[in-house]
Amino acid sequence: MDIEKAPSMIDGNPEEKVLRSLAEGFPRTISGGEKLKSGVIRAHVERTDLYAVCQTLRDSLGFEHISMISAVDYPDRFELVYHITSYQSRLLLELVTGTPKDDPGVDSVSSVWGGANWQEREAYDLMGVVFRNHPKLERILLPMDTMFHPLRKDFKG
Amino acid sequence: MAEMWINMGPQHPMTHGLWNLKVKVDGETVVDAEPEVGYLHRGVEKICEDRTYPQIIPIADRLCYGSSLTWSHLYCMTVEDLMDLKVPPRAEHIRVVAIEMQRIASHLMWLAAYAVDLGMMAGFLYAMRDREIFIDLLQALSGSRITYNYPRIGGVAHDLPPNFQRDALRACDYMDKKLKEYEDLYDGSTVFLMRNQGVGILRREDAMNLGVTGPTMRGSGIAYDLRKDHPYSVYPDMDFEVASHPDCDCYARYRVRMVEMRESARIIRQALAKMPQGKWRTIAPRTAPEGTGIGRVEDPRGEGMMYVVGDGTDKPYRLKIRSPIFVSVSAAPKMLIGYKVADVVAIMGTLDMCIGETDR
Amino acid sequence: MNGEDQASPSVGQVMMFKSKEFLKWSDEVMEVVLKRSAVGGSIDVLTTDFFNWATRNSIYPLHFGIMCCALEMAVASAPRFDAQRFGVIYRSTPRQCDVLLVNGPVSKKLKPALRRLYDQMPEPKWVIAMGECAISGGPFWSGYSIVQGVDKFIPVDIYIPGCPARPEALIDSFLKLQKLIKENKKGLLTGR
Repeated sequence: MDIEKAPSMIDGNPEEKVLRSLAEGFPRTISGGEKLKSGVIRAHVERTDLYAVCQTLRDSLGFEHISMISAVDYPDRFELVYHITSYQSRLLLELVTGTPKDDPGVDSVSSVWGGANWQEREAYDLMGVVFRNHPKLERILLPMDTMFHPLRKDFKG
Repeated sequence: MAEMWINMGPQHPMTHGLWNLKVKVDGETVVDAEPEVGYLHRGVEKICEDRTYPQIIPIADRLCYGSSLTWSHLYCMTVEDLMDLKVPPRAEHIRVVAIEMQRIASHLMWLAAYAVDLGMMAGFLYAMRDREIFIDLLQALSGSRITYNYPRIGGVAHDLPPNFQRDALRACDYMDKKLKEYEDLYDGSTVFLMRNQGVGILRREDAMNLGVTGPTMRGSGIAYDLRKDHPYSVYPDMDFEVASHPDCDCYARYRVRMVEMRESARIIRQALAKMPQGKWRTIAPRTAPEGTGIGRVEDPRGEGMMYVVGDGTDKPYRLKIRSPIFVSVSAAPKMLIGYKVADVVAIMGTLDMCIGETDR
Repeated sequence: MNGEDQASPSVGQVMMFKSKEFLKWSDEVMEVVLKRSAVGGSIDVLTTDFFNWATRNSIYPLHFGIMCCALEMAVASAPRFDAQRFGVIYRSTPRQCDVLLVNGPVSKKLKPALRRLYDQMPEPKWVIAMGECAISGGPFWSGYSIVQGVDKFIPVDIYIPGCPARPEALIDSFLKLQKLIKENKKGLLTGR
């Protein structure tokens, strides 16, 4: 059984098509769209529109699979990096969003992709980022009564 | 009938690592399930922020000890992406040979453990005996039996030993013969077929949405393999088929792995035939530039991925590891509900869990 | 407490007990007759060697794998290295085991579960720490969530170095354990 082939190349290659659709659909919150290498693209989104962008990606742009959700602790913000795969067009999108340190929270995308459920729990457990509307935001790798978030830079093990 | 929660783990006769599965049973039927992981959490991502780039290679090996070459290779690929380093072609071919041998060894380990779970000790004995042949080849290549520390950033640690090509081709021919014997042993057993066919259905849409990758996804009919659809290294030059099976049950996942072993032997033969002469390693710089790097491989268990953030020093700022089994285990309740308690062992066995990479 | 059968005293003295009373009675009688008197001592002299030989040739480890050394533990019972010829058979429940093989790093989440497994094993029992992670924390010694060595909360008898420890090293440790059992012979009844 095969998946449908990549879309035709008449109006630009598939990477540019996706970046253009995102920029047109969310002109104020999407920025910094670029192609990193063949098959890999990156875009930056404000955290207010994250849920809507993810729904668009799954429903109309054919990104069916969320590969990885990473949380990085920079000195001035927490950065969440979503790697989303499209099986149909064989693309990988790196969607980056930031959240301030004193209010580390974004909307959960686990209702869009079920595979995001445990990955968000792990980001909460190890980094302390809160995901709003998550069905069960609890610790997953550390014991339940742990008081710290180990991957933060101010935690010295 | 009263419903109750039963704890299966963390110490249980299912041989696949240290985790806890809480099942809610109504009589003998499973009504709900909740996996619990974290008993093997070592804090690898935090440890890696204190080690230099070459010092992390042995730690990456110990992420998934069933197929450790894949993880150290993935780490080296990720750092090479960050540093924009070109690997010499001989090193790429050696890497492909080693990784495909590791894939065969990992699938044989799965076959052995799965046979023990289902009560078929004969499968365990035969599969372990044949796995030793590939472990010996990898020991001749790198010096160690299971955690090899063989890839380096920029190539591989040392060249092929003498007579490696001859021995590897002999091992591939032997494996092709033995695969026929395994198929007779397993498919000819009525009890094995009864315990596997129609059990643990994971529908195609659920597999895509829940992030399940690897042989579990290909057993649900999605013919997507990172080596073919998003190729890396020298896989574009290799000619092989992607194994997939339309039934979404345990038998389909077993068939996918058997076909993958055969295709791996094919890839090893091609890589050895096409191996160029030349250097097997370029020396990597000590510090990495600022920026990010991504690496993806087709691990025997699914899609493995790493994301590294460099900050100009010789230690990574952040290393994030994506484990395929972490996501597959979260999809386990979908596969378990509605079946009997005795089927839990068969279903969780086909996921081929390696808890080292789940808990990191 | 002896009760007497009222119905047919001609059959002979029959003693009836409730089970708890029987246990108390047998403890008192056996304690006096066997353990403290010379009878117990002489039974021990005759049987200690035999029981010790049986114990050291049937070491049953627990089916418990933590990390990479667990693969080498599984391979040790595979056809190439074959630990079963020394009488080593893995059992699934701690109530039937002699040896607890700890073969990986112990995280803080696992520590209470492992201690409970150790407490569930009946005497006499031994512990083998296999691999660097169980001895001292191994490559992960600086982590925030592991215990640096299993001997911080469980007494260990044999340490096997290696990362991972080879299957031959594991079989060698079983042979060393056999020697250890032989040297520490104790009578089953008197405990001396």
